[in-house]
Amino acid sequence: MDDDQLSATFAALADPTRRAILARLATGEATVGELAEPFNLSPPAISKHLKVLQQAGLIEQGRQAQWRPCRLRPEPLREVAIWMTQYRRFLGQSFDRLDDYLRALRTQQPGDHDTPQGEAQ
Amino acid sequence: MTRQDLGNATTTMYAEGAELVIERTFDAPREQVWAVMTSPEHIPQWWGPHGTTTDVVEMDVRPGGRWRWVNLFDGGRAPFTGEYLEVVPPQRFVRTSIFDIEPFNTGPGAIETATFDEVEGGTKVTYHTRFPAQEAIDAALAQGMSKGALEQFDRLADLLTGTSRPR
Repeated sequence: MDDDQLSATFAALADPTRRAILARLATGEATVGELAEPFNLSPPAISKHLKVLQQAGLIEQGRQAQWRPCRLRPEPLREVAIWMTQYRRFLGQSFDRLDDYLRALRTQQPGDHDTPQGEAQ
Repeated sequence: MTRQDLGNATTTMYAEGAELVIERTFDAPREQVWAVMTSPEHIPQWWGPHGTTTDVVEMDVRPGGRWRWVNLFDGGRAPFTGEYLEVVPPQRFVRTSIFDIEPFNTGPGAIETATFDEVEGGTKVTYHTRFPAQEAIDAALAQGMSKGALEQFDRLADLLTGTSRPR
């Protein structure tokens, strides 16, 4: 996994305007003007957001047409999914260890609690 | 939104959009499960993948208190940090969690909510993690997107959990 790509994705997602831009692009491609409209942003401001999204690889902009429509590139979001998978493994294994640890604590201190129960094997 | 089941016999685990839920019942009283998950002396005994250890640098379990745990593994270290937002012993805590490595930590971090319920056979822990990407979906909802647009966005959310492929 490319760490820089992942962090760029997170950084891009951290801003509510950029998330809204992605949400808009999830419905289909749009021109810079169309994207700027709902936010009341100046052309330089919208360009800055689009640049961040583009650098994160989350959007791409057409080259040929004069209005250069933007469209969503969902691939980096899959990078985020990979990160989530790692986290899931981390937590899943931690919980396995927690289970073992609690068992160990119980055998160390038998009768510490009012529900003594033989280990069901 | 598509729910993806990921668990096994002992653990219920599923992802829905950018949220991950792990449910597991531990054969121990609730106070004890709470204690091992919220006391610095217990964390190194279980937190992190098999074969790793954890250094609890900071852990102030009360609203506004910071935590910083560093998972040490063969060949590296993985520091996690955040803030406890809500602490209700022995029932529930909510905290933020950031993978604190430049430049991963430029993102907003995840919100973890742990709930402890007394059930037959012990204590059920529900560990709910909300990843920052979920905010993108919320933002979309706040913008009052049409139903069709929302379906499109669901597809996007599915990509986050790998349940479908684009195009």
